[in-house]
Amino acid sequence: MKNKIKIYRAMQNLTQDQLAEKIGVSRQTVNAIESNKYLPSLGLALKVAKLFKASVEDVFVYDGNKDENNNS
Amino acid sequence: MNRKRYKQLRIAVALFVSVIVSLAVTNHSYLLSLIGVLTGMVFMALVRSKAQIKVDEREATIQEKAARMTYAIFAPTIGIGTFILLIPSYGGLSVFANGEFAYLESLGMVFAYLTLFLIAIYAISYHFFNRKFGGGGNEE
Repeated sequence: MKNKIKIYRAMQNLTQDQLAEKIGVSRQTVNAIESNKYLPSLGLALKVAKLFKASVEDVFVYDGNKDENNNS
Repeated sequence: MNRKRYKQLRIAVALFVSVIVSLAVTNHSYLLSLIGVLTGMVFMALVRSKAQIKVDEREATIQEKAARMTYAIFAPTIGIGTFILLIPSYGGLSVFANGEFAYLESLGMVFAYLTLFLIAIYAISYHFFNRKFGGGGNEE
């Protein structure tokens, strides 16, 4: 799974901290999502997409890879 | 109160409790250690409610994985430990015949109950969460 959060964040002049505050998670979580180390829940993905006024498919792109959160 | 301040306070409380407990242990005062631990718990509860700390989903995922790994390591380890401690005393080995290592059997029994307790808690919480998240029957 890839995402364009960094691009959308830059478009809206938001820092990771500000985005984290807006979606109710920690800055580390935003950073982990951006760097594809953590796959957000459906609820959080929808929240991010709504904040950027985009669809979930625009922000998150499924590339057929294994679920990142299950990599142990 | 932000997250950073909350973490600092948590470390301060942990230090306070550990100092009190060490003092209590050196002075053989169990009441003091109990009071220290209870004070720490109450203080932490107050700080937590004041800070309104939310556990975010990544943290929750980490906690789930850590708990699963702890169980996966601890349960077999303690189970095998029980087996190792109990087998010699029931195996009729001569070195155990005159009751020299009787404490090993007692320790083995404690481990055995601990293992059962751990498995029981896991089974009960699994059942509870399975029902909470929609499992446990009537699926058509």
